[in-house]
Amino acid sequence: MRQTRQPEVAVIGAGPAGLAAALAAAQAGLGDVMLIERDLELGGILPQCIHDGFGSIVFKEALTGPEYAQYFIDMVGRSNIDVLLDTMVLDLTAERKITAINSRDGVLEIEPKAVILAMGCRERTRHQILIPGFRPAGVITAGAAQRYMNIEGLIPGRSVVILGSGDIGMIMARRFTLEGAQVEGVYEAMDHPGGLTRNVVQCLQDYEIPLHLSHTVTFIHGRKRVEAVSVAEVDADFEPKMETERRIPCDTLMLSVGLIPENELSRKAGIEIDPATSGPVVDERMETSVPGIFACGNVVNVYDLVDYVTQSAEVAGAGAAEYVLQGRKREAPIRVVPGRNVKYVVPQIISDFDRDISFYFRVEHPEKAVVTRVSADGEVLSQKKAKMVRPPEMVKAKAGPDALKDGHKVSEIIVDVNAGE
Amino acid sequence: MQQMEQQSIKRKHDEFSLPLPASAEVVVIGGGVVGCAIARELTRFTPDVVVLEKENDVADAASKANNAMVHSGMGEKKGTLKAHLNVRGNRMYDRFVEGLNVEFKRDGMFIVITPRSLSFPWLRWIPAWLVRQWMRVCLPWVLVAYGRGKGIKGLKRVRRKKLLRLEPNLTPEVISGIYDPNYGRISPYKLTIALAEHAVINGARVCLNTEVMGVRVEDGEVRGVITDRGEIATKRVVNAAGCFADEVARMAGADGFRIHARKGATLLFDKEISTVVNHTISELRVPLAGHSKGGGLMPTIDGPLQLGPTAIEVEDKYDTSVSREEIDWILDRFLYLIPTFPKSSVICAFTGVRAPTEQEDFVIGVSDKVKGFVNAAGTQSPALASAPAIAEMVLGVLQGLGVSRTLREDFDPVRPGKPVFSKLSDAERQKLVEEDPRWGHVICRCEYVTEAEIVNAIHGIIPATTVDAVKRRTRAGMGRCQGGFCGPRVSAILARELGIPVTQVTKDGEGSPLFCCESKDLLKEVV
Ligand SMILES: Cc1cc2nc3c(=O)[nH]c(=O)nc-3n(C[C@H](O)[C@H](O)[C@H](O)COP(=O)(O)OP(=O)(O)OC[C@H]3O[C@@H](n4cnc5c(N)ncnc54)[C@H](O)[C@@H]3O)c2cc1C
Ligand SMILES: Cc1cc2nc3c(=O)[nH]c(=O)nc-3n(C[C@H](O)[C@H](O)[C@H](O)COP(=O)(O)OP(=O)(O)OC[C@H]3O[C@@H](n4cnc5c(N)ncnc54)[C@H](O)[C@@H]3O)c2cc1C
Repeated sequence: MRQTRQPEVAVIGAGPAGLAAALAAAQAGLGDVMLIERDLELGGILPQCIHDGFGSIVFKEALTGPEYAQYFIDMVGRSNIDVLLDTMVLDLTAERKITAINSRDGVLEIEPKAVILAMGCRERTRHQILIPGFRPAGVITAGAAQRYMNIEGLIPGRSVVILGSGDIGMIMARRFTLEGAQVEGVYEAMDHPGGLTRNVVQCLQDYEIPLHLSHTVTFIHGRKRVEAVSVAEVDADFEPKMETERRIPCDTLMLSVGLIPENELSRKAGIEIDPATSGPVVDERMETSVPGIFACGNVVNVYDLVDYVTQSAEVAGAGAAEYVLQGRKREAPIRVVPGRNVKYVVPQIISDFDRDISFYFRVEHPEKAVVTRVSADGEVLSQKKAKMVRPPEMVKAKAGPDALKDGHKVSEIIVDVNAGE
Repeated sequence: MQQMEQQSIKRKHDEFSLPLPASAEVVVIGGGVVGCAIARELTRFTPDVVVLEKENDVADAASKANNAMVHSGMGEKKGTLKAHLNVRGNRMYDRFVEGLNVEFKRDGMFIVITPRSLSFPWLRWIPAWLVRQWMRVCLPWVLVAYGRGKGIKGLKRVRRKKLLRLEPNLTPEVISGIYDPNYGRISPYKLTIALAEHAVINGARVCLNTEVMGVRVEDGEVRGVITDRGEIATKRVVNAAGCFADEVARMAGADGFRIHARKGATLLFDKEISTVVNHTISELRVPLAGHSKGGGLMPTIDGPLQLGPTAIEVEDKYDTSVSREEIDWILDRFLYLIPTFPKSSVICAFTGVRAPTEQEDFVIGVSDKVKGFVNAAGTQSPALASAPAIAEMVLGVLQGLGVSRTLREDFDPVRPGKPVFSKLSDAERQKLVEEDPRWGHVICRCEYVTEAEIVNAIHGIIPATTVDAVKRRTRAGMGRCQGGFCGPRVSAILARELGIPVTQVTKDGEGSPLFCCESKDLLKEVV
């Protein structure tokens, strides 16, 4: 028989975002929280991230991924949150009806009062960046390689070329080296590394792995298994300069070319998606354009730090609880607009400007000695100096209504970055 | 060490392959759509048919990497064998797929006329308004008449306004067009697999991982087929070896044609954007450069939209690479038709190799040099569309060589289909999970493929023994993440079901291992 369940809140995805959101909803007073995860265990992507560097903000220490996750998993274990593992959500409607399936119960219909989306992100593939060549075995994304090596105990290849210098790419360069594989080099199309400076030093320089900036892979050779890749320098428009093309023998091409928020379910529910983040447009409580559906973590935008993921989830969990307990009427929202040298800001709108809000934003280009500023209709609400801002590192700024001189109704908030004095 | 691993992979594949029979009434060389269609038609009359395929699966060459269109014949020159068999094959399709449980949709195609359609140099001597007027009013009728001349029925002129109503995203520059209701869509690999399985159900044997190395000919007559796994005695051989048909013919001393490889690349887009077009759309371009039929925007039957193909002569018959120039050419050529096309939604680029002869026509019939050697060669496009008619013609030839003309009474008309989770209702899903919990275990999150379907594929009539073979049968790994997520899970299921270590699982057979070794093995080597 098909089952129907009606929890107060259903959280989809049990990575760090889903775990923290479920806990926050429970702490805010909800007794019936359901956490749905398609994997066999809790923690999302974290169990495979065995390197350290998680939790510097939330825990003020450098934990490994599994350690960071375990803290929340233990808390969930002690709570009365209803956890459904090995359960895949197949459908979500704007009326907040969830259809899920697992091997024990079959098809589940879940009709919660509020939904929190925490499905995380997925990796971009070679095709999304259109690398020419053959389609052999041995072309693999960084996350898949990480899973094979850290969970399944399998080594995907012995001589590896890495395209993309995002954090996962660099961390995996080190991981391959530690396993005895030869990393021929990391190639990056941009003229600066895609990930944190910390990782350039600790994962590449310390292991003498060359990083080739302004380079890309131009061809994948090998019909059955990768035999080599061609690489070339790129010009300012990222077009390869073919005269610089050279062939590098290898048996594996690993890609670390970006993450995309996983929003298939959001689209099914008709939630508005921000093209700049590829995630839902959310307000200050992380509520999406569909009432009662909240979102947090990497499904909203790819936060670089898991700590920010957790913070966004706590806001979403509390927001969902508030929605269930008190209901919510949203008025015409205040738009949050990216200003000078800002690519995008989360949240994108503010429905109730009644409390301090954390704005997470990404800059368009690196800049030194800056002031980041949040202003409302021309009035500066908060500003902060920073030595350096870079596109791979998300910036956070806080601002609240208290700073408003006369408490008037705000129509627009601008977040921008300006040269410091 | 790598050597050793590969050898054991080869040995393993031998174990998955059927033992080679000692003799057969007919041996078909090549398990593409043509070979499998012929084998299936033969089994209506005799069960004693053997298909030999060198790869680890049927549909592992051109028949897996094409545009999946059941053409009507509009693109073929009148008077060629290709045109004749295409028009006939198209008409036969509904009966051809009956009982196979393969989805086939005949929902037609628009051929649109745009300002780029005619590029004859002499046109510049005629006033532009006049050319345009002629293209709007007369050209559609010319096309209709041209098609009718080849026996293509039902062609209709479509005015610009109607085109734009039915295809709102089409370029406003479109002038007019015609509608060809005969065009159909099918999954070419699912069709090939179904034909092969249907043949097996009716007694045929399909031997995978079996490469034909020679044909035994004595006194100008076929006596047997020599493979890398032994010899089969037979008097009748069908050469359906696709790109390699000239080489196989040469083995028998029956040569007389040469096949040159012409590759074609296609870009595939996320099914999420499939709604940008509602029909298959092709743009009229004359004169056509090269030998492509022009291609277009082609929604596949499984959802994703195809753009392409290119047509490039290559030396290597295995050259399935996609070049940067091809990618740029496709985008440039077809995005004109849909100005708002979301080109960032590309999920995959693939290439197939066509098998044309110098004469650019099919070569079908018994060799005049070797008795019992029947060619089904030169099978470039539209051999998928023509497959029913090719099979009918080859069957006729074989019956002339002694194969029974009496329909078997015990012929089973049905190749049973298996449930496809993503297409089921919730009630049907519930029922299946109650029967077998593996139906509740979703492995591929993009295409919603369950463990039960993957296990079914591995233990199918034509068993899937590689990640790609599982993909062709179930769509696991064909979605937007291209196997990034389900790859590890599919490999683990393959290893478990085949009883091999996961390090021996391959992407596409020998030489394509997914892993080099287990953790710590490399470190041991270093020490
Ligand atoms: C490969 C990879 C490596 C990373 N490495 C690092 C790193 O080293 N350091 C760092 O700070 N950050 C890293 N990140 C970023 C990391 O994703 C975030 O820090 C954090 O894990 C995101 O948390 P999340 O909960 O939003 O998403 P996830 O951790 O991805 O969790 C999402 C969960 O939702 C589940 N889910 C999705 N869809 C459904 C559905 N339909 N039904 C049921 N369940 C569903 C998934 O199974 C998953 O468990 C990495 C990301 C990836 C993809
Ligand atoms: C890009 C592209 C787009 C196309 N689009 C269409 C379309 O839309 N509509 C259409 O009708 N047609 C289309 N075609 C053409 C169509 O794909 C082919 O005509 C068709 O697949 C040919 O089938 P086949 O069985 O003859 O060849 P193949 O599928 O190539 O099969 C031949 C088989 O023989 C095997 N073989 C070869 N040598 C040996 C040996 N010595 N021993 C054992 N086995 C051997 C090979 O491994 C192979 O599996 C397209 C082709 C391409 C490349």
